[in-house]
Amino acid sequence: MSKARSYAWLAWRAVVPHPLRALRRRGTGEERFLASYATEGLAPTSLEARADAEAASGCISCGLCESACTLRGAIPAIRSLGLHAAFRLCGKSDEMLAHAATELSACATCTGCEPLCPTGVPITRLVRALAARAAALDAARRDNPTQDR
Amino acid sequence: MAGPAHQEGYDVVVLGGGVNGAGVARDCAMRGLSVLLLEKRDLACGASGASSGMIHGGIRYMTSDRNVTALASRDAGYIRHIAPHLTFRIPFLLPFATQEEGSRLLDRVTWYATEVYVGTYDLFQPLKGGKPSVRLSPDELYRLEPGLRPGLHGAVTLDEWGIDGQRLCLLNALSAVDHGADVRTWTEATSLVREQGRVVAVRFRDAVTGEHGEARAGVVVNATGGWSPGFGRSNGFPVPMRPGKGVHLSLDRRHGNYGIICTAVDGRQMFLMPHEMESIIGTTDDDFFGNPDDLDATADEVAYLVDGAASLVPSVREARITRAWWGVRTTLFEYGVEEDDLSRDHRIYDHAADGSAGLLSFVGGKLASYRAQAEELADRVVALVGKGVKPCRTHEVPLPGGDEVPSPRDLAARHGIAEVVAARLVYRHGSLAWEVLRLADEDPRMKLVLCRDEGILAAEVAWIARHERVRRLQDLRRRCRLALGGCGGLDCARPAAQIVARELGWDADRLRAELADLLEAGWRERRAVLDGWQLAEEELLRAVHRGLGGL
Amino acid sequence: MAPATRIECDVLVVGGGMAGATAALAAREAGARVVMARKSPGSTGLSGGAVSVAQDPACMPDAPFAARSGVVESARRIAATRPGHPYQLLRDRLDRLWNAVEFATGQFSSVLAPPTGRNRWLLTPFGHAHPAAACQRTMAAGDLAEVRGTLLVCGFEGHLGWDPGLVASGAVRVEPLGGPRPRAVLLDLFRWEEGALGKPFDLARLLEAPGAAEEAGKVLKRVLVRGDAAAVLPPVLGIDPAARVQERIAAEAGIPVAEFLSDLPSVPGLRMHRAIEARLAAAGVEVLGGEVRGGAGPDLPAAVGGREVVARSWVLASGRFVGGGIERRGELREAVLGLPVQASEGPFADPSIRFAARPSATLTLADSRAPQALLAAGLRVDGDLHPLDAEGRVVHPRVFAAGAVVGGHDPASDGTGMGVAIFTGWLAGRAAAGRGA
Repeated sequence: MSKARSYAWLAWRAVVPHPLRALRRRGTGEERFLASYATEGLAPTSLEARADAEAASGCISCGLCESACTLRGAIPAIRSLGLHAAFRLCGKSDEMLAHAATELSACATCTGCEPLCPTGVPITRLVRALAARAAALDAARRDNPTQDR
Repeated sequence: MAGPAHQEGYDVVVLGGGVNGAGVARDCAMRGLSVLLLEKRDLACGASGASSGMIHGGIRYMTSDRNVTALASRDAGYIRHIAPHLTFRIPFLLPFATQEEGSRLLDRVTWYATEVYVGTYDLFQPLKGGKPSVRLSPDELYRLEPGLRPGLHGAVTLDEWGIDGQRLCLLNALSAVDHGADVRTWTEATSLVREQGRVVAVRFRDAVTGEHGEARAGVVVNATGGWSPGFGRSNGFPVPMRPGKGVHLSLDRRHGNYGIICTAVDGRQMFLMPHEMESIIGTTDDDFFGNPDDLDATADEVAYLVDGAASLVPSVREARITRAWWGVRTTLFEYGVEEDDLSRDHRIYDHAADGSAGLLSFVGGKLASYRAQAEELADRVVALVGKGVKPCRTHEVPLPGGDEVPSPRDLAARHGIAEVVAARLVYRHGSLAWEVLRLADEDPRMKLVLCRDEGILAAEVAWIARHERVRRLQDLRRRCRLALGGCGGLDCARPAAQIVARELGWDADRLRAELADLLEAGWRERRAVLDGWQLAEEELLRAVHRGLGGL
Repeated sequence: MAPATRIECDVLVVGGGMAGATAALAAREAGARVVMARKSPGSTGLSGGAVSVAQDPACMPDAPFAARSGVVESARRIAATRPGHPYQLLRDRLDRLWNAVEFATGQFSSVLAPPTGRNRWLLTPFGHAHPAAACQRTMAAGDLAEVRGTLLVCGFEGHLGWDPGLVASGAVRVEPLGGPRPRAVLLDLFRWEEGALGKPFDLARLLEAPGAAEEAGKVLKRVLVRGDAAAVLPPVLGIDPAARVQERIAAEAGIPVAEFLSDLPSVPGLRMHRAIEARLAAAGVEVLGGEVRGGAGPDLPAAVGGREVVARSWVLASGRFVGGGIERRGELREAVLGLPVQASEGPFADPSIRFAARPSATLTLADSRAPQALLAAGLRVDGDLHPLDAEGRVVHPRVFAAGAVVGGHDPASDGTGMGVAIFTGWLAGRAAAGRGA
């Protein structure tokens, strides 16, 4: 198929089928985009969440915070995962956050961890924010069972 | 793994364990041929392991031949079907930007043309389960992506699939083994043996054991990628290629859920996109005529990529870049053409005319179309071998673990592991996640979490060491991304090495050497981007591994 | 009564790691009123339990322990052979190095064993023997240069965290140097789920429980054979020294017991951190949590954690990248006073070379084993530990720098990190308090 024919076809698309499709469509671009993706867990990321992510990036995996973390009531498997997984595994993606609701809710907000962090990650605030987002994402996921990959 | 390679011959010997080599090995083995795959390092150590990690539908080919787009989209759909656990959706935003304030008529016409173009691509999206595109007004764009710089005029969206290219290669190789193939990693083909203008055997050397061997071959497929021209030169056949170096950067976490297509300083299109647990900025494209084993990311390549991404998402400058990585594209040779304008098509060279009958070389192509490329290559092999074979079924038979995607919640509940860890296991192993966790049931110590960037359990490391062709510790970088995150292996490198050593029978000296090798590989990638928190991480890493470890 | 919002003191120490703590305590001992401002516990909590001061650079790798130079002599050799290293800068005062080491180990004697003048050789989880001038009390019995007989290297049956065979290989390598013959064994401990999946801190707490140390001692005793002279265990023998976990295990087993060094997360590091906290409080150092804001230097008010501090002298012991004293965001800068970063290693030790704005790749070498200029970057100081500006002039006669914020050494490469921290901290603290050294 020659380049000329391809371009002619695209020009045709620009003049007839594309505008016709636009006329028949319901909803704004944003509405259609969110309808497509939000159900798959691909929602917009707020500036607050971005600021949190930047703060969480200060974690250098030293594990000191965990010496103070009681992880109230957590099963050994979750204890093995530990507190600083919150800024790493759990907090890096919305999908993981949805799976981490149980872990993050184990935070007793005792703030014993925060003074120990060498890079000053605002642990308590972050874990609380992540826990809230995780609970919301988990609830949304339960309403949309197809989302589990 | 010695033995068969010495006694028998093979219908086909494949050189190169990238996606084309592994793909054609799988196809030939499934069709009933006897196959030997030789890879001089580990699977996906070349371009296949350094790609942008997407299986796209060939949108750029609508301008030259929309049949190619249709084929590419359909093949992306096949890959989705045979390895659903490895693929993940990435919505892209293509923002409309102008250099000055306001927009001219020409700009608006260009934007409409882009909207039409991407909208036309919607015709092909159903072939790969993709979502249709939309046009966004400026307000809508900023609501969806508040991190964009001001002054943009809206956008068009585009849906593509991301994939873990290294596990894709691995699964193809494992599938080949399931169908009777022999796969030897860390085994370099040293020379070809000819008889009367025909290639009849391949000599090889195992880099780990030092042993030499020879395998007789009906057909030899050279899929050595960026190493092809050099291998060809050493073995008396030409492989025309214009190797193109590409560099990517990784950020320590997803910057958001949508990819952003931006323009670099030289007008090239590039991207900032979320990819599983990290974000990727890519890529460059420069002719590279040196030794592919001797690559690095230069300071200006890093700056080029950061500047390009920051032109639309300024916060990238504050983000934590964890590593830079690189590979060499096997672009088809053309003289007098700029790198970006070179064809991404592929070609299969039959070297009968070069005095090497029975030798085929594969050049060019893209990861996204590997399966179709491998099918074409396998057809050529079968024609040369001249045996009756079963038909190609690589598009319908799932890759190992791809038959079903378990629910992470089920896995977590059944085996008493954290759900996030279960989710990562599902991503990497699909239905085989159940098998991995069977190891944890047998030995409760195996539920120890080793890596908190990728959620790797001790059980997974043991399973990978047993079943996924691991011969060196650094192979785990490609199997489960061990030590690839910002932590550089601070938590996980030593415990994982201890487990692999137990599985493979390494003594302490070998363990230390492998650990040093793994850490060295990480250093090479982190060196170019040390800044901010990543530099603090490096200080800690060195204190532990060099200071305490003496490595 | 609310605490005063404005504090006047003699010495403000910025930074809470080993250098800052040593400086603060040295200044206190000299009679100064000391305030410490720190935004985090510093990198001491991340240390493995060893206090590494100097290893003889000229020594052949196969030289026997007994034939090796003492710590101070080794430091002198480093001073003589490493341009730009803080020891070289302080070469005329290296005769006081041992005073500094004894001072620091004395201050933290609840956790640190008294130093002997020679390096102790301690095993690490990586199968390496690490020389250190001092170590924690729980580790002294594991000194390879002192064990006569077989050394039992232990891991835990129930926990995958440590491989005694790997640890023991470090001893194998130094056996010809006069070290003991090692024997690797797994102790039948921590086999239940909580133990198997525990973090080092969890295991340490489990051992602090009543009877747990005795139980461990019994398990250890069962595997002893004739000739075993000492046993080294993973570094989880309790967090609180008052729990005396290591001593109780040794008493029950009837053999000296020690921890080997720790990687991360580090129980010994946490112990050290707590010991520093306790000593600072006992010595009357006022510790303020927070970053120093708006402080330009001595005699000017600096805002720290809601208070205002006016100090006659400042000691900048803010650390390097982990501590946050030096940061690189596109360019290297000193975070508290904005002083120029111009001291480093190798070719960049030359003061005329401006490197702070160079790309990081150009400040590193492909060979990761080599000392890295980027990781050795810091302030340039004179022989009195006064930071220098870009023209080489003393920034302020009452501002001093100590520890990793001082450039010229890549601690991971040369094993002098703690030594530099202690020595410069001690000198700076005394100088800041007006006591010469």
